[in-house]
Amino acid sequence: MTESAEPAQPKPETSAQEPMLQVRLDNFEGPLDVLLHLIRSQEMDIFDIPIARLTAQYLELIEAQQQLNLEVAGDYLVMASTLMQLKSRMLLPRPELDEEGEEIDPRAELVAQLLAYEQYRMLAEEIDERPRLGRDVFSRSVFPEAELVERPLPEPDLDALLLAFRNVLKRVGGEVRHHVFMETMSVREQMGVVLERLKRGGVVLEELLDKPGREPIVTTFLAILELWRQQAITVIQEGSYASISILPKEAHA
Amino acid sequence: MSLQQQLEALILASDEPVGIQKIRDMLDDLPSAEIREALAELESHYNTRGIRLVQAGGGWQFRTAPEHADLVRQLWSVRPPRLSRSMLETLAIIAYRQPVTRAEIEALRGVKVSSSIIGGLQERGWVRVLGRKEIPGRPHLYGTGKPFLIDFGLESLKDLPDASQLMDEDEIIAQAQQTETHAEHDAEAGEPPPSTEGEDTSATGA
Repeated sequence: MTESAEPAQPKPETSAQEPMLQVRLDNFEGPLDVLLHLIRSQEMDIFDIPIARLTAQYLELIEAQQQLNLEVAGDYLVMASTLMQLKSRMLLPRPELDEEGEEIDPRAELVAQLLAYEQYRMLAEEIDERPRLGRDVFSRSVFPEAELVERPLPEPDLDALLLAFRNVLKRVGGEVRHHVFMETMSVREQMGVVLERLKRGGVVLEELLDKPGREPIVTTFLAILELWRQQAITVIQEGSYASISILPKEAHA
Repeated sequence: MSLQQQLEALILASDEPVGIQKIRDMLDDLPSAEIREALAELESHYNTRGIRLVQAGGGWQFRTAPEHADLVRQLWSVRPPRLSRSMLETLAIIAYRQPVTRAEIEALRGVKVSSSIIGGLQERGWVRVLGRKEIPGRPHLYGTGKPFLIDFGLESLKDLPDASQLMDEDEIIAQAQQTETHAEHDAEAGEPPPSTEGEDTSATGA
């Protein structure tokens, strides 16, 4: 086939003599689109389609394609067989009759399909031509770029974390002192609890340390430190003395 | 403090089209007729301005006038992506035939409708799943969502272009057969079939 069709021209005009080889299937939305093009560009009567001629042109067109996109190949081939079947039914000496004894035009179904598709093709164009919000008309809004601006998250700060821990401890009473205790709550277990809560999104440190008593708080805090060390979580403080947020790792990426 | 001024303030400040009911809630249940009248006056007032007061998706919104599209677009470096024909055709079929299954869309277009097309339309909120059709396989039924009306500047689905002229497939078949019998009749009479093309196309020119 010739490489004649220009990509900028979705539907090249074709002369009635050699309409086929100028056409490339990737410019079409499927077999119905192709048939409509053949019919309309050659000014065939859609209510009296010359099936034999149309079938020949359609088959020639399909065969001319170097390779058929596999996704749509099936649809094009089904139409090819439909056309060939219509062609043979048109040749039957006696016309088929419906229940009321009237002649059935074998082409009627295809014509209905073509006309319906042509309507939606036109409606699609009309919808596309409407002034569209964000393309042709604009409402007062945040500029699109504003969302693309990178806002680097502040660097985490271990001192701040320790300070916050101290504050929490102060609130629940008691002071930080070396104290050897038997572990009744496992840090590992608490790591799991923290990760589980983070699945629903980031939380503020205080929220994680909401259990009463020193031991749960210490255990949870150790769990947070361990998770941070393992880089399973991200710790963020927006500014000095601001609250500290714990985020799951992927939210940071 | 006129009602028109209050409406202007409310509509400008809102992120989405403001409906009459919402306006009533904020203005002590003012009669809707009064609000509508003020809105209509505002609408005509803005008709000659660079921004317009338009009705979309069941509410009112200020938008730039379409004739300034090229100018306004220069504000942003990113151009809105063009919609593919397959996406637009699928959207048109869903808009006019909802609720509709994917198989029905495919039958009308004569080609497979890929998940990426439906997905792309769903992502924009233009299309959503309305439910399932109670046939074997229980396929999804698709329809349009409110963002479709808002983005395409439609007050409701009734405002879709030319919806009334849309024929059913049965009607098309009937019409096809009717036209054929006419053609045969004319051929027998030895006259060419009457030309219906050309003359009446001027009416649809706009």
